[in-house]
Parts: sequence; structure tokens; C-alpha cells
Amino acid sequence: MLIMARRQGETILIGDDIEIVIAHIGRSRVKVGIRAPREMTVVAQEVQMVGDENRAAAEAPSPAVLQSILAHLLPGAHTFSCPADEESVRQDAGAKN
Amino acid sequence: MPETETANFGTISFAPESVFEFPHGLPGFEDRRRFLPVQHAGSAPIVFLQSMEDPSLCFTTLPIWVIDPQYRLHVTEQDLELLGFPPDRQPGIGADVLCLAVLSIRPAGATANLLAPVVVNLKNYKAVQAVSAESGYSHQHALFPEEVAAC
Repeated sequence: MLIMARRQGETILIGDDIEIVIAHIGRSRVKVGIRAPREMTVVAQEVQMVGDENRAAAEAPSPAVLQSILAHLLPGAHTFSCPADEESVRQDAGAKN
Repeated sequence: MPETETANFGTISFAPESVFEFPHGLPGFEDRRRFLPVQHAGSAPIVFLQSMEDPSLCFTTLPIWVIDPQYRLHVTEQDLELLGFPPDRQPGIGADVLCLAVLSIRPAGATANLLAPVVVNLKNYKAVQAVSAESGYSHQHALFPEEVAAC
């Protein structure tokens, strides 16, 4: 990995059309300005990680898997019916938190 | 009451004011803005987040206190603004916001994304998935670490 020392306000160029400005250096964080072509995706690494995780999470678990999760959460409770059982689906925005 | 099609629950009716609105979508699903919280009688405390725009998109979540009662929120200033909160303090879980951890189910077991909880303002139902690199939480927090293979 190329390491460059830069001061606040200084810039790094990558290729012809990417510009990185060290906008502000604070005590524990650095603000970085990035100028790049619009079609180029620029995200913080953890946002990409969360995107990957969301894609992995986007499939509803099977009833059996749900049941195993619930069995862990609520030891002793064995009531469970399939989520596809439409009548027992209750839409509840006031979910307790 | 209006109805919406879902792949997992069939057609469900809902109160329009109970829809969570994600102004910027979620990472990986930036164009999915409206989600309906669905609780199933037999699977409480699990909350399903059903996309109103894609019948097949449904996240499985748990209120974060179920996983970690001491969980500390780290919502960035931008996300606080999106939610409609002042930038100078963290909202209270339960008091100001609903806080849900998205679950991933893998052969090795279920994990919860504590790095990026879904945070919903209880007053206006604006929602964000609040990614916080500084929180130190994992995006793959093992739900049942004592078990090698949960599923």
C-alpha cells in the first residue's frame, strides 16, 4: 500500500479524474473530500459491508430456522405457526422496543 | 384499509401511517424506501420488515434490547437529521426510537447486524439503517455463540 503524508488542505490525485482532499484533521478523525466521476461509487467501507450483509439477510428464513431462533430466545415456548398462515399475520407498527 | 402483496405473508392489510419511511433506502437497497413492520403472533419478538415496493424483500429483525440490553446507539449527525432529531444528543431506545437489528441466517448460525441497526423515529416513522464505524459493534454478531450450528 502506498502511504503518503499530507497536511490539512493538501490534495492527492489518482489518475486523471479522482481528487482526494484532506479537508480537516481532527483529534481522532479526518474529513476527506473526494472528487470523482459520477459513475464511480464512493462509499465508506462499512457501508459496503452493511450492503453485503443486507443482501445476505434479505431472504426470509424458513419456518424451521425461525423456530430454532425463537426456541433460543424463548426457552420453553413451542408455539409457532407458519408465517404464510395469512390470518394470523398481524401488522403491528407499535412493536415494543 | 389498504393492502399490500407480500411473498411471505400473502396479502396483508395495513394502516398507512404505520409504514416506516427510509428516505435513502438501506445500504444495498437504496431504492427501497417504504417498509411495513410485521409481527407474527407465533414469532414475537421477531419483527419482519416487509418492503412495500418489492413483495419478495423482507428482512427479519429483532428489537436490539433482546440481543443486548446495554446496546449504545451511535447515530451520525447526518442520520439524526434524516430522522428529524437535533444533532447534539443520541435518541433514547424505546423512548424516542425503535431500534431493530437485522438478522442474517447462515449455515453456521444466525447473526445480528449490530454495526448498523435500523433506527425508527417513533414520532414520524422516518427510518435509517444507522451505520456507525465508531461503535465497535460487529455486523455479524453471533446470536447464539454457544451453538456451533444453529440451523
